[in-house]
Amino acid sequence: MEGRIIVVTSGKGGVGKTTATASIGAALALEGKRVAVIDMDIGLRNLDVVLGLENRIVFNIVDVVNGRCNLRQAAIRDRRIENLFLVPASQSDNKDVLTTAGVDRAAKQLRKEFDYVIMDSPAGIERGFENSVTAADEAIVVCTPDVSSIRDADRVIGLLYSRSITPRLVVNRIIPEMVAKGDMLSHEDVMEVLSIDLAGLVPMDEQVVIATNTGMPLVLQNDSKAGQAFRRIARRLNGEPDLPVEVPSVKGGMWNRFTQKLGLK
Amino acid sequence: MLNTLIRKLSGHEPSKVTAKKRLQFALVCDKLEVNDETLNCLQNDIVEVISKYFEIDQTSLELKVKRDDDTSALVFNTPILCVRRRSRV
Repeated sequence: MEGRIIVVTSGKGGVGKTTATASIGAALALEGKRVAVIDMDIGLRNLDVVLGLENRIVFNIVDVVNGRCNLRQAAIRDRRIENLFLVPASQSDNKDVLTTAGVDRAAKQLRKEFDYVIMDSPAGIERGFENSVTAADEAIVVCTPDVSSIRDADRVIGLLYSRSITPRLVVNRIIPEMVAKGDMLSHEDVMEVLSIDLAGLVPMDEQVVIATNTGMPLVLQNDSKAGQAFRRIARRLNGEPDLPVEVPSVKGGMWNRFTQKLGLK
Repeated sequence: MLNTLIRKLSGHEPSKVTAKKRLQFALVCDKLEVNDETLNCLQNDIVEVISKYFEIDQTSLELKVKRDDDTSALVFNTPILCVRRRSRV
C-alpha cells in the first residue's frame, strides 16, 4: 500500500509548524508506522535541531530531488524512536532550487518507502509552500489563537481548497486561563471564523521550550501536555478519527474553577 | 480577579470579542480584494463581449471595485459610440 503525504502549513511563521511536524511524525512512529518527516524550509532548516538530529546530516531533500543521492542515503534514522526518519532541508540553497515536478517525483518514491510522509512547509504562500503542498494528500493547518495567525490560516485554507485538499486545523498554544477570562479566542471561535474541522487542540506548554533546547522529541516526555495532545492528533490521523478532542482546561481547585466559570478570573 | 469584576460590571466586552469582530471583518475584506492582473483580464474579456454589440471608446474605459460598508460592487463605465447593427440570422 502507498503511504500518505500530509503537509503541515500555516501561512504565518512561528506558530509551531516545525514542532507540530516533529511531534506528529514521532507520535505516528510510536504508533508503529514507518514515518518520514521532510523539512521543506530550504535555506532556513530547523526540523533537524528540533528533533536533535542536526549532527547527523549528510545529504538533504534538494540532493534527493536533484538525484545527487538516493532517498535512503538522505533519510536520517532516529535512534530513539524506531521507524522515524528525517529528510533535512538544504541550508545553502534557496526555495527556488526545487520545482513542483521534482518534488512530485521524489514523493512517488517516498510513498513507496513510508506509511506517512509529513512535509514541514515554510512560512509564506510562495514557492516553498507550493513545493510542500504539490504532492500532499492531506493538510494540517496550524494556528495560534491570535488575530494575525488566524487571518493567515484563512488564506492558506483557501489555497488548499483550490487544490481540492480539505485541511484540518490544529490550534496551538492555547492558554486556558486566558480563554476562561475572555482574553483569548476559544477554539470554538477559531473554528467558527475559519469554518474548518479540528485535528486537535494543543495547550501552551513550557515543555516545548525544554524539548527544543535538548532536541528530545516532545512526545517522549510523558509529563508534557502538548506532547500528549500531539499524540492524540497522531491517533486521529492514524485510523481513529473519532477520538474525542480534549479541550485544554484550567487546572486548580474548586474555587479556581468556580470563579473561572463565572468569568471572574 | 477584581479587574475582571470591574470590567464585567462596567459592561466592557472582553478582548476576545473585539478580536473576533475584527477578524471576521478583515477576512471579508481580504476576500473582496482583487489584484490588477485579474482586473485587467476581466476588462479585456468585458470589452471583447461588449464590442460584439457596441462600438465603444476603448481609451476612456473605467473598471473598478467600489466598496461601501457592507456591499461591494463591480463598476464598469464606458462611453458608447454606436450600436453595431447586425443582420439577423
